Amino acid sequence: MQDNVLELTRVSKRYGAFTAVDDISFAIPRGTIYGFLGPNGAGKTTTIRMILDILRPDSGSINILGETSALNVRQRIGYLPEEKGLYKKMKVWAIISYFATLKGMDKRAAKTRAFELLETYGLKDYAEAKVESLSKGMGQKVQVLSAVAHRPELVILDEPFSGLDPVNQEVLEQLINDMATAGQTVIFSTHIMQHAERLCDRMLLIAKGRKIFDGTITDARAIIPRRVILECQGDISPIMKMEGILGVIEKNVGNTDTNGTRQWELQIHEQANPQLILQRCFENGIPLSRFDYTQPSLHDVFVQLVGNDAREHHFR
Amino acid sequence: MKMIWLIAAREYAENVKTKGFWIGILLFPMILIAVFFFQSMLAESAPTRHYILIDQSGQYAPAVESAIRQEHQRRILQEFVAYVIEHRKEANPEQTVASADAQINQLIDDVDAGEVAAMDQWLDNGGLNFALTLATPYLREDAPPFVAPREQFIQAPLPEGVNASAAPEEIIEQIRPWLSGQRQLRVESSNGSDEESGDLFALILIPAQVNNSILRPSAVPLAMNQSGAGIQYWARNLTDVRLPNAIERSINTTIRNNEFAARGVDAGIVREVQRTRLPVSRLDPSAEQGQEAVGVADQFRQWAPVGFVYLIFVSLMQSVQYLLSNTIEEKSNRIIEVLLASVTPLELMMGKLLGIGLSGITTIIAWLLSFLAFILFYPGNQAEVLGQFLDVLLSSDLIPYFVFYYLAGYALYSGIFLAIGSLCNTLKEAQSLMMPMIMILMLPLATMTYIAQDPNGPVARIMSWIPLFTPFTMMNRAAADPPLLDVIGTTVVLLLSIALVLWLSGKIFRQGVLRTGQPPRLVEIARMLRHRH
Repeated sequence: MQDNVLELTRVSKRYGAFTAVDDISFAIPRGTIYGFLGPNGAGKTTTIRMILDILRPDSGSINILGETSALNVRQRIGYLPEEKGLYKKMKVWAIISYFATLKGMDKRAAKTRAFELLETYGLKDYAEAKVESLSKGMGQKVQVLSAVAHRPELVILDEPFSGLDPVNQEVLEQLINDMATAGQTVIFSTHIMQHAERLCDRMLLIAKGRKIFDGTITDARAIIPRRVILECQGDISPIMKMEGILGVIEKNVGNTDTNGTRQWELQIHEQANPQLILQRCFENGIPLSRFDYTQPSLHDVFVQLVGNDAREHHFR
Repeated sequence: MKMIWLIAAREYAENVKTKGFWIGILLFPMILIAVFFFQSMLAESAPTRHYILIDQSGQYAPAVESAIRQEHQRRILQEFVAYVIEHRKEANPEQTVASADAQINQLIDDVDAGEVAAMDQWLDNGGLNFALTLATPYLREDAPPFVAPREQFIQAPLPEGVNASAAPEEIIEQIRPWLSGQRQLRVESSNGSDEESGDLFALILIPAQVNNSILRPSAVPLAMNQSGAGIQYWARNLTDVRLPNAIERSINTTIRNNEFAARGVDAGIVREVQRTRLPVSRLDPSAEQGQEAVGVADQFRQWAPVGFVYLIFVSLMQSVQYLLSNTIEEKSNRIIEVLLASVTPLELMMGKLLGIGLSGITTIIAWLLSFLAFILFYPGNQAEVLGQFLDVLLSSDLIPYFVFYYLAGYALYSGIFLAIGSLCNTLKEAQSLMMPMIMILMLPLATMTYIAQDPNGPVARIMSWIPLFTPFTMMNRAAADPPLLDVIGTTVVLLLSIALVLWLSGKIFRQGVLRTGQPPRLVEIARMLRHRH
């Protein structure tokens, strides 16, 4: 059996008539960085709260670090909630070491660890400052540090990147990578695809409480066929029947601009070589004004998979 | 258990760091010092008051003068007794205070009763000097000399141009500028013979026909407020009534003496009859044989519970308010979620109760210590009296009662307020839920004097059986040996209620802390209580 730190089996949660999480199952192998993706209101936070046993699922079962309740292993878990807040009057190092002691760390060790973390992640000068004097972004970094100070096996970060500037987002990415290197498992939720793309080994996509996708980033990209965008004056029929081309869609049909340029989108097979297409175009004398081959981004996958749901939500 | 201590330690440390905590701790000794300090300051700085006496009847000037002299002698006597108590050699302090009290009361009573003879006797004997000679053997060698207070009421001469034999209305018109403070009197300076200016405090005008205004039981009573009837006392200051009261007493004594003479009664006999008295000894049947006499200390013992009730109330209010705002802070900051990922709701709740309870106890101990320090270091007899009170307290069984009911009251109310805090996101929301609780808390405070007077009456007994009032009411009754049934029964009910309240508020707390949005309606709270986690 694979060594999974977390397994959810057919978990559901309802609030009255509203189903927040609907029959979700997934498993997270040890040592991975796992992304939790989904539009606002998809049920990410509810799922995380159930994982932590702050909420109880209505049905289904959860196995976390070999236990049925996170409460039994809470010293081995680190958690950063979605809404961030700290005791305003406490000193930065004191709050990190306080949360670490609540997780079972020895007082002196917790203090040493707090200063060590603050130094590593660029907050050394603020160690003695009060939390209320920090900016929002700095406060959030402090909170992330306080969640992971006790070196938990499983780290769960709910929207850790929101509200951070690009520089600090990078610092946080570094922290997550450091933890993965140290063998810790990291779960984080986000709706910014770039972070997931750069960091995650695997990801879970949920929308309206349902699981839409669960797998590696490569698997996710495979959901959308690769595309080639062509632009030329004239016709591209000679290449349409090429091997490896799954379909051709002409954009803006009958709506050519003044010099008669038309645009096509070719969906190509994963193994197909775009170089061959380009070669065929030259051989057939097609006057290309644009040849654009791109890998689908996670963003495209996201929009493709939940686009309609997200927009519906937006207009509701 | 370790988690509870960790949370309690943080709550305690954070609470102790707040300004409010230190203000609370320092306020009490500062009030104590201020009260005593200003009292003695005020007594020493009483201003000299100048008055003008115009006696057109020619009968009552001596009576007025003697009234003012008596007033002054009375002050000297009071100060002298205080001086003797302060500087006496060590003896039995309680007895000295008690007997000195009795003596000064007798003297003041006599002076009040117009005992001109007694006063004359005291003056004939050399007055103060005589008393000093008598008291000296009992004073410590290093005692400073006694400084008699200055005369407070001094007669001023009539301003020039005022005709003392004119009609009363005319005199008032002439003196009005001085009375209203527009003009200043030329008076003798207090430190020498130089003249200085001073305010005219009062004008005492006795019209020539004043005897026509004497009221007798047989006569039809005149309207009391009839302006200008009898002796006229003119003064802008309406609060210092010592002078008019003394004058009224003294003149009435003179008039009554005249009446005795007119009716052929010997005034001396009447005076002797008036001075005859039978003392009432107050005895306490619950005291040991031979100790039954009720002293100041015993009275204090009876009233001390009221102080304790008040102490519980003040400390409780402080603690529960802090508990409430602290829970709301954690909730609105969403720190609660991190905490609940680390500890159980029960551990969190218990940690809070413990930490804030300890800081409340710290406040009380600090108050008691500052009270003790005050008694030890503050010179003067008032502090010594307080010291005796302390002895009474420590020897009585009130302290264990206080400790128990303080803790019980705290457990009961903090559970309720914690539940309220867990349901609200802002203090504003909490206020509407708090209102009924504050009203309930006010009731024991409103009834505490009444219950101290009737400690085993029906109101006291009924209130004792209502758990929300038990800590206050039973504390209130603690000195009155309440029936054993009440003591044990209410304690059982109280402990059961505490267990119930903590259990229920634990339920509300664990569901409430993660709630967002409006505070719930009663129906929802009921649903929370039924909910099984």
